[in-house]
Amino acid sequence: MNLILVTFIILLAFTSYYFGRKKALVIQSSQRLTALPKFYGYYLAAWCAAPALIIFALWSVFEPSIVKTFILQDYTDQNLTKNELQLIYTKVKALAAGTYTGNITNFLDESANKYIQLKGIANSAKVAIILAILIFSLSFAYRSVQKNDRMREPVEIFLKWVLFVASLGAVLVTIGIVFSLLFEAIRFFQAVKIFDFIFGTHWYPAKTFVRDGQPDPELMKDAFGAVPLFAGTFFIAFIAMCVAIPIGLLSGIYLSEYAGRGVRKYAKPIIEILAGIPTVVYGFFAALTVGPFVKEIGNAMGLEVSAESALAAGAVMGVMIIPFISSLSDDVITAVPQNLRDGSYAMGATKSETVKKVIFPAALPGIVGSILLAVSRAVGETMIVVMASGLAANLTMNPLESTSTITAQIVVILIGDQQFGDPKTQSAFALGISLFIVTLFLNVIALSVVKKYREKYE
Amino acid sequence: MSKIKAENLNVYYGSKQALFDVSIDIAEKEVTALIGPSGCGKSTFLRCLNRMNDVIEICRVEGSIKMDNLELNSRKLDVVRLRENVGMVFQKPNPFPKTIYENVAYGPTIHGIAQSKEEMDQIVEKSLKKAALWNEVKDRLDEIGTGLSGGQQQRLCIARAISVSPEVILMDEPCSALDPIATAQIEELIDDLKKEVTIVIVTHSMSQAARVSQKTGFFHLGKLIEFGPTDKIFKNPDNQQTQDYITGRFG
Repeated sequence: MNLILVTFIILLAFTSYYFGRKKALVIQSSQRLTALPKFYGYYLAAWCAAPALIIFALWSVFEPSIVKTFILQDYTDQNLTKNELQLIYTKVKALAAGTYTGNITNFLDESANKYIQLKGIANSAKVAIILAILIFSLSFAYRSVQKNDRMREPVEIFLKWVLFVASLGAVLVTIGIVFSLLFEAIRFFQAVKIFDFIFGTHWYPAKTFVRDGQPDPELMKDAFGAVPLFAGTFFIAFIAMCVAIPIGLLSGIYLSEYAGRGVRKYAKPIIEILAGIPTVVYGFFAALTVGPFVKEIGNAMGLEVSAESALAAGAVMGVMIIPFISSLSDDVITAVPQNLRDGSYAMGATKSETVKKVIFPAALPGIVGSILLAVSRAVGETMIVVMASGLAANLTMNPLESTSTITAQIVVILIGDQQFGDPKTQSAFALGISLFIVTLFLNVIALSVVKKYREKYE
Repeated sequence: MSKIKAENLNVYYGSKQALFDVSIDIAEKEVTALIGPSGCGKSTFLRCLNRMNDVIEICRVEGSIKMDNLELNSRKLDVVRLRENVGMVFQKPNPFPKTIYENVAYGPTIHGIAQSKEEMDQIVEKSLKKAALWNEVKDRLDEIGTGLSGGQQQRLCIARAISVSPEVILMDEPCSALDPIATAQIEELIDDLKKEVTIVIVTHSMSQAARVSQKTGFFHLGKLIEFGPTDKIFKNPDNQQTQDYITGRFG
């Protein structure tokens, strides 16, 4: 029903666009138009679609809760808790849809009938109201088309509002996410001291699990120390950058300065393919190929290497990040003005001297920016770590041991059984917001570094 | 005395020929101006003299250019040495995004000319003085070269070019991005420099060519139409096309 209604509105909008344009051509024969004919079409289409769709959206948002209030009115005298009421309502809905399998009481049956009835009324009312609005707004718009009112401004204003709503949506969603993280994290910090979280060196949330009642506060104190996770995160990111920065940067320089057109044409897309490989694929590549390989080599040298090592995860993550750095630095190096190169060559500098002394410094802000972007990416990477570096949060600086990161722990916490009010679950939000703060911090630094160098070099 | 002698020079960009059989004899310690309408090949010719065309992949140079009997258009030529001897100043000032000092010290560093910090300081000071920039920047040598005004930047580029004491300086429309005052300063500078170096300057301004040069060559459609003493070219050219161009009838 809803689908038909929306389709109808959209089709009508299209029709009114063509109608409006045609009308404009008719007006043109007798008087000067206030805008191009297509604006008349846009004007009609906007007046047709916008009010109807807005009312439709509002209706769809509020209808369920209004129906729910009507249904649950009959139960107010039974002194039920909120959860029980919710359960009843779910049952009523299931019964109405014919998917209910439990005991059907008279009371439930009555409610279900009422529900069906209410839904029917709501639906017809919705259709009626929307049709009324369509007729009203279309006739209003048509009258002003007929009067040959100014068409350009209203259309521009309408478009401005469409864009505004879109960006408002994006901003609101972001704020919503941050706040939901924040509130859950605050609840977590009511159970676990923030000091214990930031400075504790043991991460073992599973031991706080108790079947009933509250967990022992002493246990809580020692289970949520995030230091091993932060250490692991930065350690693995560090290994990744050790792989990605030299290879990425050097290949970027090669591609932009040395490679002939033929090489560049094929090499660049091939490197960029690396960026298109899903991280899960990197993950099992790390876990099944690189991990055992590192272990074998280590064992051959007489070292003790665990099958899941920070080295394997970090190295593969580095490979994943190479295209970021190489592609971005290639772009910024190519953007260095040719006249700087000419100036250097004309002084008798060789290619490598020119790259080292002129091009690299000139491109540095962009390169630093791309590296910091890549660090953010490495810090936020999840799948490779989950699959290749294990889930035990060891506090270690040995790349051959298994270690874990913030993102991997969030995965561990939120898969499988969980209770929402549990500190273990809420700790995921605390980790999430700390990760968010870290990457935000990195990005801010990246931007300010870029800005500083830009002032210096331009 | 002849410094540079080009014979039957042909230059191609891909399949398009940019220079046709250009033969020219550039005298030592004189200013030679190259004039002509846009796209006539005068910049292309200039860039042959320090092999800057090497940078352009599709460019091909045929013929002979001799500088003091050294064949420049040869695969065996040491381009780094050549460019140490033949400096270049470009149309748009292009100081490096480095300090003023580093800009001037760039060439001497690359060619290992200065043995000590003191010597380098001297070279930088001498070059900036010769470029008539020293008094304006002596207190801020560690500021970024790109922060100077356009005319100062161009003089900085000239200082950079003369820092390695080249025998020849090529100038590719060095004043086209500058205001009249800065232009006058540069022209004065060119006049000073010609006591020590051979200068080849490409310019769109005929009055500039008349003011600064001793010899003038007129290029048109990739051919050197006429070459001779500046006075003669401007007052009494042999060729009708030169006459038309000088008097502003085309170009």
